[in-house]
Amino acid sequence: MMLQLAGALCAIALGTTEPATVESTVIFADAIYTSTGSVIENGAVTVVDGKITAITPGKTPGDDDVHVGAITAGMIDLSARLVRGPDTVEQTQEITPEMRVEHAIDWFDAEWGRQAESGVTTVLLSPQDQNVVSGLSVAVKTAGVPELVKRAVKRDACLRGAMGRQPSNGNHPAFRRPTDFFSRRPTTRMGVEWEWRKAFYDAAQARAAGEEATAGARGILDVLDGKRPLMIQAWATQDIRTAVFFKEEMAMEGFGELTLILDAAAEAWREPELLVRSKAAIILPPLPDFGRADDGAFMALSTAKKLVEAGVPVALSSHGAKADRDRLAMQGALARRGGLSLEEALAAVTITPAQMIGIADRVGSLEVGKDADLALWNGEPFQATSRVVGTVIDGVLLVDPRNQ
Amino acid sequence: MILSTIVTASLALTGAFEGPATEGAPLPAPTPTAEESVLQPISVERAVAFKAKRVFFGDGNHVDDGIVLVQDGVIHSVGADVAVPEGVAIVELDGMLSPGLIASHSYEGLGAEHADSTRPTMPEADIAMAFQPHHVDFAKTLAAGVTSVVLAPSSATLIPGTTAVVKTSGGKVVRRPAQLQVVLSNDALNWNSFPTSHAGAMAELDRLFSEPTGQIARATSGNLPVLLSADDRSDISRAVSFAGRYRLRGAIYGSMWAEDLIDQIAKSGLGVVCNPFDVGEDSRGMRAVVGLAKRGVRLGFGLDAPNRDPENLRFGAALCIRGGLDSKLALKAMCSDAASIAGVERRIGRLERGLDADMVLWSGDPTELTSSVVAVYVDGTLVHGGGE
Repeated sequence: MMLQLAGALCAIALGTTEPATVESTVIFADAIYTSTGSVIENGAVTVVDGKITAITPGKTPGDDDVHVGAITAGMIDLSARLVRGPDTVEQTQEITPEMRVEHAIDWFDAEWGRQAESGVTTVLLSPQDQNVVSGLSVAVKTAGVPELVKRAVKRDACLRGAMGRQPSNGNHPAFRRPTDFFSRRPTTRMGVEWEWRKAFYDAAQARAAGEEATAGARGILDVLDGKRPLMIQAWATQDIRTAVFFKEEMAMEGFGELTLILDAAAEAWREPELLVRSKAAIILPPLPDFGRADDGAFMALSTAKKLVEAGVPVALSSHGAKADRDRLAMQGALARRGGLSLEEALAAVTITPAQMIGIADRVGSLEVGKDADLALWNGEPFQATSRVVGTVIDGVLLVDPRNQ
Repeated sequence: MILSTIVTASLALTGAFEGPATEGAPLPAPTPTAEESVLQPISVERAVAFKAKRVFFGDGNHVDDGIVLVQDGVIHSVGADVAVPEGVAIVELDGMLSPGLIASHSYEGLGAEHADSTRPTMPEADIAMAFQPHHVDFAKTLAAGVTSVVLAPSSATLIPGTTAVVKTSGGKVVRRPAQLQVVLSNDALNWNSFPTSHAGAMAELDRLFSEPTGQIARATSGNLPVLLSADDRSDISRAVSFAGRYRLRGAIYGSMWAEDLIDQIAKSGLGVVCNPFDVGEDSRGMRAVVGLAKRGVRLGFGLDAPNRDPENLRFGAALCIRGGLDSKLALKAMCSDAASIAGVERRIGRLERGLDADMVLWSGDPTELTSSVVAVYVDGTLVHGGGE
């Protein structure tokens, strides 16, 4: 399936400075959607050495060339949850800000291939949300050499934690001697929120007292200092409010200004002004079957539209769901049906998520010099009749539309 | 004078085999040095010369009609044209001589003493303090032509302790600690105590290795090899990057899933100790070994006696040969590679001047399962079979 297009396909002169041996790939499309606000009709994207080197209008493909209906930037799923499973989160403590999910990645999971096939080229991997503060997330490409350093787009991209029911689920009070780690705090939403505040107060107050930070405290201080965003899973309104109030309390105490990303925020539509006030960015879960998502949160077709209208940055996600309808191509289509324009829907699966975690210098749009991560469509993206028929990651034509 | 000619003569041999060069960082020269040290002039009373139809040196090479001259338990000279001083006893052996085989991972004489699950990390735990040297396990392993084993603590916790190289006859400890064992597989994770996750396990390892003390400091400074237990591909990938991060030398224990990671392993400079093989093993494990050998990766075979029959060591090698492994490399893996992985290549693993005279007399080629053990010598003394 791995197929690197040879230089024979190169139909474009790259200038005299290019060595003759450099392999290039040219992909032709009826329309190229750049995620920077422009659409180029009947054009071609040229890829050399894993980077986009030219986006050219008015190109006519030959018979053997790769020619598709549309090209967009490869899609980005910030809640891919590709590494699920209990070995991603250290459950013996509630607060583990120094722990890295990157050590729990299985590079040989068959899901990588399915993600790439569906046009998703970059994913943010986070620990499972059994802990209150569960650790550091990593952004990686969905294909390539099975090695962290080669696949990583950004390590320690954000600190992950959770509000709501999941971190306390299964815990119970210890009546006598604790027998296992489930007999632990917290058992309620209040307990979860208390753990958040205690961890952040402890870290900030220890610093104020001149104490040397522990590894865990360093993870917390980094988000208070704005070095990386804090991503909190919060499905329901009360949890979204708790996260925003928490951010405001940290600022009020003078501990620092958190950059907030709320993941799985299905009910973010209820109080969008709160999100505007806190400058929080939102990752939406896939549209639930009967309106209700986890934690009883309600989400409708128009949720994305309402948030975009209010000026809240929105990214769509699969939240680890693996059915075709839950993947990004279809979630974009559903958001379109809920009222987003093509440009807005495209941004929500490409450039907006890239900006949220600070990787827009490499991925998220089609621009010369950026990574050659492309989703190839058989027609206009997010139309009911359109699907992803090919994928390019780091310049490699991973899924060839001519075989589809 | 006689001696120097013998040594050089052994370099130009019939059937000499040159293995592929090992990629990656060269290993720093390990500790001691027996070779040029205390070899006494040959004494007619104390020296013995063994003549065999074929002598395998243990490094992939062999010579036909070879002689091994031994004095005081140490090899004095080896080759086809060793001049045996007059008066030295000559033992004519009907068969082929090889170095005593080395099992790169085993549990003889330990009972249940190798598995301490009370805490996740015990870098100072020394397996050499736990084995019963006269246990019948050792006699059984010796009878299979295995003269040394790497005893290892059980891979059930994150850092279960250090390994030791032990002779199967007499219980002599060749080296302790030999390797610091680190478990990067799911075996180190628990459902109800720390660590429950790879994230937690690696955070703990990072904490210990970034400010190392004791055996961990010896490992990070290159003075103690590591043995990194890994089951699946993600474990191997994690082991390679962990070793790279702290510049650790040593080996990965677990080859079954290495096929897709041969390039990374070869570049890392780590060796690989194969899990014991079973009858009807998936060919994936064999393909991994063949691929690793082609890239010049040092290999050893695990045995895990007494859980397995000691003959399983040669059986695993034979399966790999069946899968395409060069038989010379298979024997090398059970001799000089195994010694090098455990850091004892200046003591055992080859029939070479200055090394311990641990030898096995076989009825034929030791990598063929139709060959059997005729006699075993440890430190120049007959300890099994023979009958002279």
